[in-house]
Amino acid sequence: MRRPLRHPVRTPVAPPSPPLASERIDDWLDRNAGRLFILPAVLLILAFSLFPLIISGWLALSRFRISREGFELRFAGLANFDKLLDGSQQFHLLGTSTRIGATGTVLLIATAALLAWGTIAYARSGRVSALGIVGRLIAFPLFGALALMLATTVGEGGQLGSLSTTLFYVVVGVSLQFAIGTALAFTCAQRIRGRAFFRVVFFVPLMVTPVGIAYTFRMLADMSVGPFAPLWQGLGLGEFSWAADAWTARLVVVAGDSWQWIPFIFIVMLAAFESQPTDELEAAELDGAGAWRIFRDITWPSVAPVAATVVLIRIIEAFKIVDLPNVLTNGGPGIATESLTLHAFIEWRALNLGGSAAVAYLLLFVSTIACVSFFQFVVRPMREARS
Amino acid sequence: MRERRLGEMSPLAKVLVYSVLIGWSLVVLFPLYWVLITSFKLPGQVGDGPDYLPFLDFMPSLHAWRYIFVDLGADTFRPYWNSVVIASVSTVLAMLVGSCAAYALARLHFRPRLISIGLFLLALALVVTAMATTAVPWQLAVTAGLAIFALAVRALRRAPSPRLGNGDILFWIISQRILPPVVAALPIYIMFQQLGLLDTRTAIILTYTTVNMPIVVWLMYDFFVSIPVDIEESATLDGASKLRIFLEMVLPLAKPGLAATSLLVLILSWNEYLLALFLSTADAQTIPLLVAAQNATRGPQWWYMSVLIVIMILPVVALTLLLQKFIAKGLLLGAVKG
Amino acid sequence: MTVVLDQVTKSFGDVEVLKRLDVTAQDGEFLVLLGASGSGKTTALRMIAGLESTTSGRVLIGERDVTHVLPKNRDVAMVFQSYALYPHKTVAENIGYPLRVRGTPKADMDAQVRSVADQVQLSDYLARYPRQLSGGQRQRVALARAMVRRPAAFLMDEPLSNLDAKLRGHMRTELKRMQHDLGVTTVYVTHDQVEAMTLADRVAILEQGVLQQLGTPKAIYDDPANLFVAGFIGSPPMNLLDGRHEPGRFVHAGGVLATRQRATLARATLGVRPEDCRTVAAGTGVLDGRVYATELIGDHTLVTVSVGPAPAGGVASRMSADAGAMLTVKMPKDHEAAFDEPVGVAIEPETQYLFDADGARVR
Repeated sequence: MRRPLRHPVRTPVAPPSPPLASERIDDWLDRNAGRLFILPAVLLILAFSLFPLIISGWLALSRFRISREGFELRFAGLANFDKLLDGSQQFHLLGTSTRIGATGTVLLIATAALLAWGTIAYARSGRVSALGIVGRLIAFPLFGALALMLATTVGEGGQLGSLSTTLFYVVVGVSLQFAIGTALAFTCAQRIRGRAFFRVVFFVPLMVTPVGIAYTFRMLADMSVGPFAPLWQGLGLGEFSWAADAWTARLVVVAGDSWQWIPFIFIVMLAAFESQPTDELEAAELDGAGAWRIFRDITWPSVAPVAATVVLIRIIEAFKIVDLPNVLTNGGPGIATESLTLHAFIEWRALNLGGSAAVAYLLLFVSTIACVSFFQFVVRPMREARS
Repeated sequence: MRERRLGEMSPLAKVLVYSVLIGWSLVVLFPLYWVLITSFKLPGQVGDGPDYLPFLDFMPSLHAWRYIFVDLGADTFRPYWNSVVIASVSTVLAMLVGSCAAYALARLHFRPRLISIGLFLLALALVVTAMATTAVPWQLAVTAGLAIFALAVRALRRAPSPRLGNGDILFWIISQRILPPVVAALPIYIMFQQLGLLDTRTAIILTYTTVNMPIVVWLMYDFFVSIPVDIEESATLDGASKLRIFLEMVLPLAKPGLAATSLLVLILSWNEYLLALFLSTADAQTIPLLVAAQNATRGPQWWYMSVLIVIMILPVVALTLLLQKFIAKGLLLGAVKG
Repeated sequence: MTVVLDQVTKSFGDVEVLKRLDVTAQDGEFLVLLGASGSGKTTALRMIAGLESTTSGRVLIGERDVTHVLPKNRDVAMVFQSYALYPHKTVAENIGYPLRVRGTPKADMDAQVRSVADQVQLSDYLARYPRQLSGGQRQRVALARAMVRRPAAFLMDEPLSNLDAKLRGHMRTELKRMQHDLGVTTVYVTHDQVEAMTLADRVAILEQGVLQQLGTPKAIYDDPANLFVAGFIGSPPMNLLDGRHEPGRFVHAGGVLATRQRATLARATLGVRPEDCRTVAAGTGVLDGRVYATELIGDHTLVTVSVGPAPAGGVASRMSADAGAMLTVKMPKDHEAAFDEPVGVAIEPETQYLFDADGARVR
């Protein structure tokens, strides 16, 4: 049906002209916009991440030697790994074993129980898949082996290797950071004044370079000229050198790491607490629910996915820790505070390129399994419970 | 007993809360305060024992500051300037590359074939083996590898293969963060050496961009997904090209996310130590390296170090104050949707 | 320009959302795609716009086959249900955006924006931002933005559904007038049959991706092609009785009705509109039953009559499966009837519609 136009029409914009050459380029760009947008990112990762990764793999399988002409790289199969896991460098990576003591036994039992529960829960979940089975076949034995390693090296007379030390930093460090960070966030989320002030102040440690933090903490922890020196001397610890004892040295590293990263957890958890559903909270308060019940039934469910994600981020970063142990203690005493990255770095400095790459690859392996497992077993369920 | 308003805390709770918060503020600020006053101390004063209050316990002096700025002068300025350039350029690049990738993943559906990826990895492994076992120059090996890959994909383009999706690509990009830099550091060192780019800012910028880009993708993805699609569809029908929509519609609406993410990436680049250590020797040194270098054989020179730490922190604090209201919002959104 | 969907099919994975849809909007016509959610109407609209691709079939705008043309090159304008205004741009910038993208010189752009703003009475709001406007004003901005360039077609995706009832009625009239004045082909999607009936030159009814009927509102109302259309159009909906049909007779639990159709159907449905029924004294109509409820609407009264035998257990209810049918009868506003009063229902055979077991219309 044709309708006559009653009102005068404005000059129409030029109708689409037949495609010119330039227009076709325009359209081609538009059609392929997706691929073009993602291309730079993919290229960067391929060139500076994937490619080096494979080269590193090759290095891990070679022996590096300085010769008259310069250097040579000879294929050596799994020799580097053998040395680290079973040979002369085993003490360095895995530690020196001893009788399994009380802590070790508790650790073993707890791990065994957890793995058993995980296997049974999975088998009964009804959502078994090939990928899931393969993943668990890799992850569970690894966790078992790690627990065994820790149990046998943590007792009297034993010595932790770099792998155990790294696990210590990750597990103890992140747990501590999460506990304190969340507690602070929860406190700050209450109805108080000056929240913005605290938010800014608490954020500052994130801005300091880890090297700077390391030196700062070295200054602070100094038993004789540090600011707490009077305190230590008062407690009779004036002659004690924290850097000479394996566990205190590790604790100082964790302290420095926590000082820097608690703010991160704080900021994210604070935002999570601030975005709880207020109407649910008010309803619960009106109903007379106590603080604990409110936390358990309303706050935690809304905050759990964020908590899981932020812990995952911290775990990913914690595996890579190197600046602090390097500067604070230089990996000492002995190898007590050496993280895996530091171990690899030290090997590199000693021109043992193959060994360095092997350690790095082991770190990659362990951290990937740990992070992916954490994501699968903790983050995903919490996110699914939410939605 | 006084009736409390809904949500008001008991006096005891209030005391507890404020003391916790103020307590932690002291924990945060004291080390920084200590660094600040140490920068005004003389070597002798530090060695004698702790002095807490300037003018009361000790006389502040500008000795360390003068040393850093005047005596070292150019040796301070160069690393500082390097840090500024490297951090800002790599942040801009990471934001650019990462945002584009995040946008592509948020709006378009990719379905790469598993078989193509397998072929690519195979080709890559061949290239590396060729380079390691033979004397073939890397340019030839890489070109040959790409050619083999292209031919193989073309030959097998009709072969059945499971397909991956956007979620998988996103996971792959983000999982690059799990890769410890130390694994890639040495090969990257060799690569830049071959390209003649060792000890240049360019090398460090490229490396930082690659390392930080996954964070940008992770955080910006959630922002882009939360922008209503029909705004972009409307712009398309109005005649705008995809690039135009990205620049004029999407980015302006994602400003809080861009601000928060840029700040985070800037801080990471500014403070990074290990890769800078690997990739630079003299010209491209950054400030964290200078800080570590104050560790003389006699023992750390706390006073000089403190000055450097202070001048490292100040610009970041200033930036953060400018952008502070975006930080929490930005980080939260990224963390929640993760 | 005409807009044509030619044998268009659309599947998302295994789900076929549109099945060989064949619809044409004539030049200058106001065509409404009417259907429930999930009927495929929005998908069809988006395929005209190019926001969805076709699995098979063609889309034509004017003489041009635009099936594979990018949305930005199709020269259509769309008004979204959410209006899709650009939140970071002013009203003037929103309206002028299509012109800006085409590189229109600023002076021309301003002039055209202002003139269109006049037409929708937004001249005072040009410097405001969308968040400062009411729902009705935002909708007018969306309209203005569509109008500012004279596209080949307007596409509208339930643009009135976010407005409150009173404003909706007002905007309906405005929209109809505007479309008439501009003469641009319009394809309009809605689930609201009132909108469809009042706005459309022709209506295309979709259900589960299949076109049920394409015709003028009058044709759809008076001459439904199948059971679905008959039951969908009309408020209150058409009464439907299940039974069987012999030549000239429809046999139903509540009685036998004379019909004009000659078919023999073991299962059939008889439809009759409430306004074509009357309640009469019990025994004098074609059906007998009891008054279930009466509702005074204002200008008329609706009497719900339960016809057929009273079900075992006593109380007749709309909800029990073995109830006799319920008939809604439209009576004058003064009519009164008591609960459970026995009544008869009178129906003229010419106003009856007959449908077979598959829902097809039997004439």
